[in-house]
Amino acid sequence: MNELFEKLADCVEFGKINKVSPYPPNMKDQDGADEIAKQLLDQGVSANDILMKGLMIGMEKVGVKFRENKVFVPQVLMSAKAMTAALEHLKPYFQSGEAERKGTFIIGTVEGDLHDIGKNLVAMMVEGNGYEVIDLGTDVKAETFIEAAENNPGSVIGLSALLTTTMSNMEKIVGVIKEKHADLKVCIGGAPVNQDFCDRIGADSYNPDPQGVVEFLNALAS
Amino acid sequence: MKGLELIKKAMKLEEVERIPWVPFVGAHAGSLLGLTATEYLQSADKIVEGVNKAIETYHPDGIPVAFDLQIEAEALGCKLAWADDNPPAVISHPLMEGTKLEDMKVPCACKGRIPMVMEATRKLREQHADVALYGLITGPFTLALHLLGTDIFMQMMMDPEATHQLMRFATDVAKMMAGNYIEAGADVIAIVDPMTSQIDPASFETFVTPYITEINDFIRDADALSSFFVCGNAQQNIEQMCKTKPDNISIDENIPLDYVRDIALKHKVSFGGNIKLTVVLLMGDEEASRRDALECMDIGGKKGFILAPGCDLAMATPKENLIAVSELVRDEVLQGELRASEAATDNIELLDLTNHWDKDKVVIDIITLDSSSCAPCQYMVDAVARASEKYGDKVVYKEHRIKEMEGVQMMATLGVKNLPTIVIDGNIDFISQIPPINAIQAKIEAYLEAKN
Repeated sequence: MNELFEKLADCVEFGKINKVSPYPPNMKDQDGADEIAKQLLDQGVSANDILMKGLMIGMEKVGVKFRENKVFVPQVLMSAKAMTAALEHLKPYFQSGEAERKGTFIIGTVEGDLHDIGKNLVAMMVEGNGYEVIDLGTDVKAETFIEAAENNPGSVIGLSALLTTTMSNMEKIVGVIKEKHADLKVCIGGAPVNQDFCDRIGADSYNPDPQGVVEFLNALAS
Repeated sequence: MKGLELIKKAMKLEEVERIPWVPFVGAHAGSLLGLTATEYLQSADKIVEGVNKAIETYHPDGIPVAFDLQIEAEALGCKLAWADDNPPAVISHPLMEGTKLEDMKVPCACKGRIPMVMEATRKLREQHADVALYGLITGPFTLALHLLGTDIFMQMMMDPEATHQLMRFATDVAKMMAGNYIEAGADVIAIVDPMTSQIDPASFETFVTPYITEINDFIRDADALSSFFVCGNAQQNIEQMCKTKPDNISIDENIPLDYVRDIALKHKVSFGGNIKLTVVLLMGDEEASRRDALECMDIGGKKGFILAPGCDLAMATPKENLIAVSELVRDEVLQGELRASEAATDNIELLDLTNHWDKDKVVIDIITLDSSSCAPCQYMVDAVARASEKYGDKVVYKEHRIKEMEGVQMMATLGVKNLPTIVIDGNIDFISQIPPINAIQAKIEAYLEAKN
């Protein structure tokens, strides 16, 4: 029992999606996150336990490694895919209310920006840490963020931008959101973004990596 | 010295008399013409007009013909979403939508907007013999990502051979573009590969280094210069970038310039960057722009460094900020003034001037950049010397060059803010303009009178 949790965490940490996946090389031909999550459910383990004792532990390790520049996007995406494969088995339990999400996170790239790598990474890691994620996609207007937030009270908005040329749209979007809902929390990220910029535009949190977003959300949730 | 010569010298790691300046004006030039990015980036004539306007306004030593990393993708069948204030974005990925790599061909240079940028290059070459023209090509990893989407990151791990085939194809496209730009007259080919910032050094070495090295060699064989651009935090890959043997690498503000300088020079590669694109050039003012540019210049130095913004300038970047930078790079007096005022705010150690003054003599301090290389400074010192002659040892004067630390400290201690400045008995009496001899003498006599 304990051993399977550890194995599941390892599969997420190192990106072992399923048995047939050849990556990572040293886990070739072994069960992946997909198979192990199913085995745990078949043994009667609760969805919450699988999430808390397996998936989240693995995902946090990846998040810290990513922050410390020990792994990069390809490795993190493989981990996220492994986590997603396991989460597929848990989805019915979240929908039935048997397992609980820690909160809701709304994410999208700002109007004018169609780049989705960073956004997808954050979305997958936040979801892997127990939050419901509403992904609005790319090129999202302020009104769309606000509508989603109004439909999900208590949610947090995440804005992503990869282009320096869409930075000014991020500022506008934060301005519109704060004007309508001063207490709505907004965090920002993306390659050209930094803390100076966050301070200037009045966002609540700047995070250079997905783990920072998770920690910001965890702090709000506690 | 002509801009192109400066760029060549910098890229060959030769000492330059002043640091070259290359603003990355892309769609921003459209805003100079009152056009949207969509209008600007689809017309050779508008691009020529816009780049001309940028050259006239910003006096660059080098400038890109166009800054659009979607031209090759478009020619290969990717759909673009056009915007008013950004270059277009790729919104479809043929290799994810059923097209097979083996059915893709390196596009004819007659496809899409390729003829447009080549025509613009030829015209600009005819009009500006002395400005280094940068032909920007989409780096192979970024192009591969346009074609396959973000699945490339998984493919690298799951099916490396397929990624190599894709990189082989993207590299052939890159060489086609580089060759055509060189033929059209571009001096520098910039391989712009921002997506390489997302991968680890081992993946970079496996999937990027061999292909970029091949492109750099190709450019060198064609007698042009190569520059490797990356945006985003690519700090982990700077060393690998240098190992591809480009003539120059260029980075944005996410990476510390001193870190890049040290690695680049170790590999005998020149380096460029990295004025803060957003909080300074876009959102700051002229003063902030000058200060940030000067900080880059002082870190970069005059051997191997090219001053540039971090990346493609936002369309809304105020032109006053870029003009301020273009003036600064040529004005050593202004540079000195900024350094000294920065020194004052940086808590530089002020001097104790207790023993500097004399109850019987007038003490004149002339704060200069360096009288040998700043003509107004030289005349200022001469004027003081001539004015002092008739007073013999009753007047003592000394020049303080702020190219030396003592000069910086003296400038800060005396509260001087301009160069050159004449301070008499601690009072700032003449600023910038060289006063007539009799005006200096009148001041001297007033101070002597006060001492008696």
